[in-house]
Amino acid sequence: MAVTGREMTREITTHSPEETIAFGRTLAELLSPPKLVLLRGDLGAGKTTLVKGIAAGFEAAEEEDVTSPTFTLVHEYRGPRANLYHIDLYRVDTQRELETLGLDDLRSESSVLLIEWGEKFPRFLRERDVEISLERESEDGRRINISD
Amino acid sequence: MSDAYILGIESSCDETAAAVVRSGEQVVSNIVASQIATHQPYGGVVPELASREHLRAIVPVVRQALVEANQDYKSVDAIAVTQGPGLAGALLVGISYAKALAFALDKPLIAVNHLEGHIHAVLLEERQKGNYEQQFPVLALVVSGGHTHLYLAARKGQGWTYENIGHTRDDAAGEAFDKVAKLVGLGYPGGPIVDRLAPHGDATAVKFPPAQIKHRDRRVHRLDNHRKENGGESEVESDRPRFDFSYSGIKTAVLRYVEVHDMQRSIEMRRQTLASIAKPKLEHYLANCDKRTLDLVASFQRAIVEDLVGKTLTAARAYDVATLFVTGGVAANSELRRTFERDGAQEGLPVYFPSRPLSTDNAAMIAAAAYPKFLAKDFAAMDFSAEAGLVLR
Repeated sequence: MAVTGREMTREITTHSPEETIAFGRTLAELLSPPKLVLLRGDLGAGKTTLVKGIAAGFEAAEEEDVTSPTFTLVHEYRGPRANLYHIDLYRVDTQRELETLGLDDLRSESSVLLIEWGEKFPRFLRERDVEISLERESEDGRRINISD
Repeated sequence: MSDAYILGIESSCDETAAAVVRSGEQVVSNIVASQIATHQPYGGVVPELASREHLRAIVPVVRQALVEANQDYKSVDAIAVTQGPGLAGALLVGISYAKALAFALDKPLIAVNHLEGHIHAVLLEERQKGNYEQQFPVLALVVSGGHTHLYLAARKGQGWTYENIGHTRDDAAGEAFDKVAKLVGLGYPGGPIVDRLAPHGDATAVKFPPAQIKHRDRRVHRLDNHRKENGGESEVESDRPRFDFSYSGIKTAVLRYVEVHDMQRSIEMRRQTLASIAKPKLEHYLANCDKRTLDLVASFQRAIVEDLVGKTLTAARAYDVATLFVTGGVAANSELRRTFERDGAQEGLPVYFPSRPLSTDNAAMIAAAAYPKFLAKDFAAMDFSAEAGLVLR
């Protein structure tokens, strides 16, 4: 763990999807609402897998019910402490498309937005509270870096 | 009972669509926005995901559906609309318009689950062919860009009930097609082009590990009542066998293959070349694909098809179903149809698909699924709302 000014980053390596999910569960505390979280990582880096853990940690969904939102764009999971929105901007390329998605309407005191491919839009890089990046190290190994 | 003409409206995701269906058995008109003239100035490629696009399209699409059906606003008997699942903002456009029409015209309003619509697309076309008898229980595989769901369907009174016995744990099958197509420079969405290229490659060339469900099995205990209150998926049964899917791993395996075989540069060239062609045809794709790429997409498609067919038929045996429906956008895939027909026939299981136009999102299926509700007078209240995560039961 490295502390630089206000910014804090921490890094962990997981060795299986199960470990990634287990780590996601521990993030529920760090991500207390309201939060805007950028999830960065290539295809197959494990973003949806991590969200399975986060949603389970918030008691908002069972991990097997958390699936990729690429096609559907937004998945909502409601928990006792927060409403989670798992958002995937993979298919969204223009500012105009983004605006009509109405993501601002989802932001509230009780909401946590987990946005994949949000880095395509500068406003999310500015407004994000936490950034989680996932990188593939080996077949099942993933380096997960968190900065807030 | 005289004929009932139902106007269906669908706006759950990318397509704005409207249709008129007679008595749940005949498509009188079926309009999808991306096909009609008002969109041609944009080249017909405007993604309909934005609610603004639905807003722009909905009035001309509904009007066209009525004109082609020789109907008008006053002559239809009911208005049906997709309630969910889908994108809340997109759903709201269809729902608001349907409510306004129903209110102004004093017609019954019927709320339809999009997934039930896909299942009824099959029934609609079978009835159109004169086949009114389906043997129950029916197993339905709804497989598209957003869904890979298995439902056991049974009749209950005028209507149908559904039990989910499996779904994808990560990516939908159609999403895997689209992402792999994009990954190898074939553009997005890529399901149809992978379908057309696959016969030109060797489907046995690349071995993919069978789609493993790496995550542990469903726990027996269900989450507390909290989610039930919120309409979350929470089956009562926990001991009934489940048949879940997983397609994230195969997508990652294709990515690895591309990296290991150093294909990135040729993929980037292919992407640029194809992007410079206004409407690339099959020969353009073939001219820009080397053997290794064709083998890769053919092997990928084979792996997905074998997994979908294998799991579905295993589920069909476990639940001893009499009939199989395969529906949703991926049901348009040629190899999937062939394989289901071949393997289903071997087991003496009748397999039904919708035609290709009714496989993908459309409003005829919404109007068809509304018909049993129309007969049962199962009408929606004027204050019903969009449900992005609506569960099919």
